[in-house]
Amino acid sequence: MSEKTPFFVGYLPVPQGLRRFLLVAVLGVIALFGVVGLVIGSTQDAPEQSGFRFDYGRQTVTGVIEMTPYPILRVTEGNDLIMPGKTLMLAGQGKNGIDARTGPMAGGLATVTGIVLQRGTIDMLQLLPGQRGIKVAEGEAQPIETEALGRWKLAGEICDGKCLNGAMRPGRGLAHKACASLCLLNEVPPVFVSTQPVEGREFMLITGPDGTPLPDMAYDFIGQFVSLEGDLERRGDILVLRMDAATLEVIPQ
Amino acid sequence: MNEAELILFAAKIWCGIGALVAVVFLTFGIDRIDEDADGAYVFRPLLVPGVLLIWPMVLWRWYILADGKDEWSHRYRPKRHNHVWFALLMPVAIVIIIGAAFSVRQTWPGDIAPEPLSAPAEVSE
Repeated sequence: MSEKTPFFVGYLPVPQGLRRFLLVAVLGVIALFGVVGLVIGSTQDAPEQSGFRFDYGRQTVTGVIEMTPYPILRVTEGNDLIMPGKTLMLAGQGKNGIDARTGPMAGGLATVTGIVLQRGTIDMLQLLPGQRGIKVAEGEAQPIETEALGRWKLAGEICDGKCLNGAMRPGRGLAHKACASLCLLNEVPPVFVSTQPVEGREFMLITGPDGTPLPDMAYDFIGQFVSLEGDLERRGDILVLRMDAATLEVIPQ
Repeated sequence: MNEAELILFAAKIWCGIGALVAVVFLTFGIDRIDEDADGAYVFRPLLVPGVLLIWPMVLWRWYILADGKDEWSHRYRPKRHNHVWFALLMPVAIVIIIGAAFSVRQTWPGDIAPEPLSAPAEVSE
């Protein structure tokens, strides 16, 4: 190296011959990152309005616990925000379902307290831990109706209900596959996002056939765009899709 | 075995061999090639994660050093003329990887409409 070749040393003043180069390089890199960020961002769909509704505060409602096998609550005694007749999916804090807590209460009345997660036509309640989150309520649970809507072929995506409802955003897609898998392995209710509304609903709880949990093979398809067939039911104001695992396949590009 | 299981299986095999190398190298080998490590034990567990990942390099350097074939001065002779190729290859590779990821990404099949296969009151057996 000749003595005239400028050499950059971080803790010394910038050599005269390198100043212009460094200025151009720094501004160029900043501009490049900005442009790349804009280009990549422009290819992504903006997530729909969703999330924890901390602004509502803790909500306490009473209703009938149903195990689909994932727990839902058919509200019988609501409040100003959650009216009777509303159906809520239930989850615990973090990446946890609450099957063990709700299982013994299936078919009975329970009072639940938690924070609402809301997205489109589907709501979830994240319960507080322990007895503060759910406890048996006095009274007799009235029989609740389930309306069979027949067998359907649908296209869309299997997600975890909590992240999709806004615990994470966008909470769906291939980039979210690992997170969704962890949630579903821990029994957070899974949700199917349909390409187009079915019976007025874009989102529906998805289970295995005959009241079984999501089949293991479905985990391989989380976050991918798939088609499947299954029996559809209306439970309160949400739909439940009992998928036929044999029909599940990835939609070709 | 699908792709994810294959990757996981390969990672288990790789890290399993790495664990074996780590146990042997950090228990016996390191004393033979680095006199400064003689009698020093607390730092050794810190090397385990690294050995798990680059155990072939560890075995190679262990062999070279133990066999007296090491020419230490070579490591201090940077081959700068190759740097320019790496400097060019890395951004090109990044662009190719991002481009490939976008090209194989599925498109949301918004045009596929839900299709009823049976009457509302019927459910499949």
